[in-house]
Amino acid sequence: MIWRLLCGVVAAGVAAMLLWLTTDPVPASGAVVKIERALVLESSARALPLSGADWQPTSLPTSRRAASNESPRATWFRMQFDLAGPPDSSWAVMLPYLYGGGQVWLGREMLGDVPVSSASVHVRWERPHLLVVPPRLLHSGANELWVQAMPVDGQAVLNFPAPRVGPLADLQVQHDRRYFWVHTMPELTVGACLGVAVFVLLIWWRLPEEVVYGWFGLATTLWGIRTLTFVMEAVPLDRWQWWRLAYLASTGGFIVVMALFAGRLAGLHSRWVERGLLAYWVVGPIWFLLMGLDSDAQINRLWTAGLIPIGIGTVLVSFISVRRQRTLTSLWLPMALAVATLSGVHDYMVVWKPEQLERYIPAWAGERYFLLHYGADFLLAAMGVLLSARFVRSVQALRELNESLESRIAGSERELAGNFKRLAELERQNAASEERKLIMREIHDGLGSKLFTSLSRVERGAMDAAQMAASLRACISDMRLALEALSPDVDDLLTAFGDFMFRWQAELQAVSVRCDWSIDVAGDTLRMAPHATLQVLRVAQEGLTNVAKHANASRVELSLSERDGQVRLRIADDGVGNFAGTSSGGRGLRNMLERARQLAGTLTIEQGDVRGTVVTLSLPLDAAPDTHATDPRQTPGRDAPQA
Amino acid sequence: MIDAIARLNQNGAMSTSSPRPAQTSVLIVEDEPELLHRFSEAVLADEGLTLTAAVSNGASAIAVLGATAPDVVLLDLGLPDVHGIEVIRKVALHHPDCDVLVVTMFGDDEHVFAALEAGATGYLLKDAGHDRIAASIHELRAGGAPITPSIARRVLARLRTTSPARGEPVGQSAAAPVLTPREIELLKLTAKGLSFDNVGELLGISSHTVVAHVKKIYRKLAVHSRGEAVYEATQLGLL
Repeated sequence: MIWRLLCGVVAAGVAAMLLWLTTDPVPASGAVVKIERALVLESSARALPLSGADWQPTSLPTSRRAASNESPRATWFRMQFDLAGPPDSSWAVMLPYLYGGGQVWLGREMLGDVPVSSASVHVRWERPHLLVVPPRLLHSGANELWVQAMPVDGQAVLNFPAPRVGPLADLQVQHDRRYFWVHTMPELTVGACLGVAVFVLLIWWRLPEEVVYGWFGLATTLWGIRTLTFVMEAVPLDRWQWWRLAYLASTGGFIVVMALFAGRLAGLHSRWVERGLLAYWVVGPIWFLLMGLDSDAQINRLWTAGLIPIGIGTVLVSFISVRRQRTLTSLWLPMALAVATLSGVHDYMVVWKPEQLERYIPAWAGERYFLLHYGADFLLAAMGVLLSARFVRSVQALRELNESLESRIAGSERELAGNFKRLAELERQNAASEERKLIMREIHDGLGSKLFTSLSRVERGAMDAAQMAASLRACISDMRLALEALSPDVDDLLTAFGDFMFRWQAELQAVSVRCDWSIDVAGDTLRMAPHATLQVLRVAQEGLTNVAKHANASRVELSLSERDGQVRLRIADDGVGNFAGTSSGGRGLRNMLERARQLAGTLTIEQGDVRGTVVTLSLPLDAAPDTHATDPRQTPGRDAPQA
Repeated sequence: MIDAIARLNQNGAMSTSSPRPAQTSVLIVEDEPELLHRFSEAVLADEGLTLTAAVSNGASAIAVLGATAPDVVLLDLGLPDVHGIEVIRKVALHHPDCDVLVVTMFGDDEHVFAALEAGATGYLLKDAGHDRIAASIHELRAGGAPITPSIARRVLARLRTTSPARGEPVGQSAAAPVLTPREIELLKLTAKGLSFDNVGELLGISSHTVVAHVKKIYRKLAVHSRGEAVYEATQLGLL
């Protein structure tokens, strides 16, 4: 903040420096004479009037009022200035204003002829006039300066300044300065106003809800038009009336729009007050249109005067809004409005009450500088600053809103991701606990029930040592099977089946049953949940136990295959084929059917082609995200000749 | 598997005509009295075996090993005083010709594998019958060793994933792979569940040669593991 303030101060300093560099120093020679007395004679004669005529003394500058309902007439001014000796350089006469034009004479020679209104052209010169005096015309002692001033059409007063006589170099500076302020400055204002107006109105066109941009654009447009009427000094007579109309409409419009703008900015918009102001604005131009050129003076005096209270009211409203908002930036507009209104009052006084002004600031009053040009420029600049601040604020607010929205979205995303993670974790835990439950039930139903049955039989003496050993070995075998299926690093049916077959080959060999087995699976692994693997191995174990104990078989063939998500285990022996005939075989069959049902699969038991039994288990391979994890390689069962 | 080895032993005994060394001395280390009794009976019942000692804790075993050098140590890993692995290390250090046969429960492959790494060359299930016990000891002395698919997988994982740059044992040529291609093939087939007979058929060797390969693999595993332990200790600045 302090850093920015410092930058602002530095920038302002640089700007002031540039301004100082461009201004010429005021010459301090003191040789310039300001003529403050004259003799006047109303005469429209183009030639120098006779000295014997009825000349009246007057002080300069002067505002000569015509009799009521009459326009002022052309007037000769006759002035004297004294010289100590003939000058050694070029001299000049400078008239700060000569609105209606006229002639300038020195002694008996004409110095210049400023164009006057004619039947085709209407003039109103805002600029100062500088007339070069050849040195030969000047002589020691009293020199005579004659000026014929023409009135401006439609004005009730003839204004004549205090002419300056002095070295050309000095007067040139004074002339240029005044020329800048009364002519160049308005030109710049016109350009800037119309440029800014286009820009702001374009913004308003795209953002119609931002009404203040519209008011501001309208205000700058009106002010640009009003100033243009001062820049155009000589216009064709038939268009003069339209220029006056443009002047009135734009001046009144500017003030009314300012009032509306201030009201809106203050948050006040009474519909009737706004309509009243707009109506007042319209009244002036319509009056002018109805009454024609003649009414110019009346309209100016009455209608334009009515704009002053509107301006003052606007200032009051804006000060009230400052009291309400209590911010430093809100002070800008009322300050600028006050400055503009004061300058407007000043200009009104210069035109209509010059004598009042002369009483307090005589030297300034006769210069007839119109300050509203600058006051209004200042006001428009202040409005521009306010609108820029408002624009910047809204952009910042939008950005902050975006940022907060983005951070909220990011927060929601994080939350969602967290929830998802928690859900996945819960699901995983759920699956793990489900798996644990299944395995516990397996142990309870299988090993547990076997142990309890054996215990019961031992206790009632129905079991000898050999039976007891067989029972315990069955339990151990059951447990081994569970360990093979639940080995923590293996979720693969093929690995578990390999371990199982490795053990069973030896056991079958011990009872002289030849065992061949094969695996027909596309891939190296076959992912299956541990409890499902356990069930498959139990079915296989049940089948092999039956073969070893009851089938009286000499060989058994096992094949494990997988096709289209269906796993198939086939056990074929060449035994007697009475699978379900024995009591233990019957129980084994029930167990196998039950296990197949739990796996959502099917179990079939058929007679072999020649003899023996074929047991086939089929089940879907559900929970298998990556059934074929690695590249297909030869599986031992397919190609290896099984002994 | 046990039965396969038993059968192999019978076959092997029939096929090999080399005269059996006079007697095989056995040290039994087992803290469970029932099993200690069972193992002792099995050893005493076999003509080819003599019982050096039957002790029930590690300290006694180490004391016996200090006094005498048995041919075979029948060792339970879960001893009350010292870990069975310590006893295996002692044997490997002082009696390199002595075979260690680890007594184990089924499904305890992790401990069996640790024992093999320490220098054991065989294992025996606790529920093995009388003749199985004696047969396993004779089998081991005859140069064969048992293996299961699970242990084959562990050996493969252990000896194949070791990177030469880091894990090459001290004293071995840096580029030489630990296992020969034939040994790798043998382990792979075993890991899939094939019996010794099937493996032998596929490799064109006798099942006796298969188990002899297994014992050689166990020796490599022990040497490699010891070398790696030394290597790691060197890295850590312990040696």
